[in-house]
Amino acid sequence: MNVILVPIDQVMANNYNPNNVPRNNMILLERSILDNGFCFPIVTIYDEEIDKYIIVDGFHRYTILKDWLQAKEIPIVVLKHDIKKRMAATVQFNRARGVHQVELMSDLVQTLVEQGATDEEIAQHLGMELEEVYRLKQITGIAELFKNQPYSKSWIMMDVKEEDIHDE
Amino acid sequence: MLKQIYIDRDVLTAARERISMIFDDFENIIVSISGGKDSTTLAHLALTEAHKRNRRIGIFFLDEEVVYDSTIKQIEYVMSLYPENTIPLWFQIEFHLTNATSLTEGQLICWEAGKHKIWMRPKKPFAIQHKPWSKEKETIRDKNKGFGFYDALENFQNSKHNTAFLIGLRATESPNRWRAVSKNPGHKDWYWTTKLKNGNIAAYPLYDWNFHDVWRYIYDNKLRYSKIYDYMWRKGMSFQEIRVSSLIHEKSFKALVELPEFEPKTYDRLLRRINGISIGHIYGKDNKAMRARKLPKNFKNWMEYRDFLLKTYPDETKKWIFEKRFAKQLNNNYVARQQCRQLILNDYENNLPIDNQPDPREEKIKKWRELL
Repeated sequence: MNVILVPIDQVMANNYNPNNVPRNNMILLERSILDNGFCFPIVTIYDEEIDKYIIVDGFHRYTILKDWLQAKEIPIVVLKHDIKKRMAATVQFNRARGVHQVELMSDLVQTLVEQGATDEEIAQHLGMELEEVYRLKQITGIAELFKNQPYSKSWIMMDVKEEDIHDE
Repeated sequence: MLKQIYIDRDVLTAARERISMIFDDFENIIVSISGGKDSTTLAHLALTEAHKRNRRIGIFFLDEEVVYDSTIKQIEYVMSLYPENTIPLWFQIEFHLTNATSLTEGQLICWEAGKHKIWMRPKKPFAIQHKPWSKEKETIRDKNKGFGFYDALENFQNSKHNTAFLIGLRATESPNRWRAVSKNPGHKDWYWTTKLKNGNIAAYPLYDWNFHDVWRYIYDNKLRYSKIYDYMWRKGMSFQEIRVSSLIHEKSFKALVELPEFEPKTYDRLLRRINGISIGHIYGKDNKAMRARKLPKNFKNWMEYRDFLLKTYPDETKKWIFEKRFAKQLNNNYVARQQCRQLILNDYENNLPIDNQPDPREEKIKKWRELL
């Protein structure tokens, strides 16, 4: 696999990618590129009619590099796929991903707290709202939140005659 | 007329009194549990009373097979709280469940014989694995649907006599059900009970509790509860939204979306068990695929989309049910959209009934036209 560096204007998006990254994750993606560098080249095919590289995977990283960080060049990999294979590849790249288990995500946040990270740092680097950090930090569980709640007043259903109801 | 009157007691004191009265009047007591917080609390209250009186009560769980592992752990926990006062009634029998996630398998038969290799988990040795009532006596509400969850409950209840079934229903949780059950007292003047067959009653001792009372009780008594509640809360859900439900019926898409994040192993087993699960996970929150929120762009209106969905409905044996139902309904965009939802969710049972009204939008337009 050869990674090449090309002018960023020679790379363009495809017109079929159904993946959409919400804004908070775009901010996280920028954070990730700044913290870790640009670790993965963009996957493309070469369209000789227009002399452009069309993106198969990596559209959002390309967007960050081009529009947010105003980079001039971008590392790419060029595949030799026909349109059918390209579309399939795009979906494969998007969908063959895991999800974060809530339980382990909690453990991870706990560890960061023990390492001395502040809530704000955790929120910024993991791309979370502060509220989410608070909730993941909570180890005691939901019942604990209600320990000082007084019990409600009891009520009964009573058959009352209409005329007995006075203004209370 | 019936009116709600506050009395000078807190809900905990009142519930303990109600449970004590049931113990005075009924020899046989069975608590239904689901693994949720309300029925856990109710079972603990009843078992505490049973322990005090040195009596044994039934703890009943109708196992749908396709449930969270956390639910199963919770049932095991409740049944082990006071073993000497507990008659475990853990039912693992075959019955039909609506599977809203698949168009080709509209129903899942839980604990289906011959499929034990792909069951979500093995049966429990001490569970009740065969229907303890005779085939001749068995009642079924709806022959089209087959023997379902409520049939299993009903037949179980009818197999008992002079028994009080305790249920963790709360009025604030389901006002409609509460209105329905509080109309006629089932025993003495206890309007928080309803009459069943064979001298049985259903009783709702927690009817006046709020969710924070339940959590407070769980905290005070250091009870365990299903981990799913904590997961949901950590995921940012509000207290009102947090509930532990079934995994595959029409209101549980949300549960499927979260499942891989909560219990990845359960999700993997579910994939093996049922078609359509992975679809539910991917599109459960997407408004087009499962909810009929947005009209797909290749259709002019909802009526056209409905006709297309009906024409291409994959289960020939169920198609007529929709055709017959829709024939009686108005033909407008408002109704058709709901019909689309039923078709997409495979809801031939009419669990999400259709509001058969003239299209409110058209009515508005008509009004304006008359004005202009």
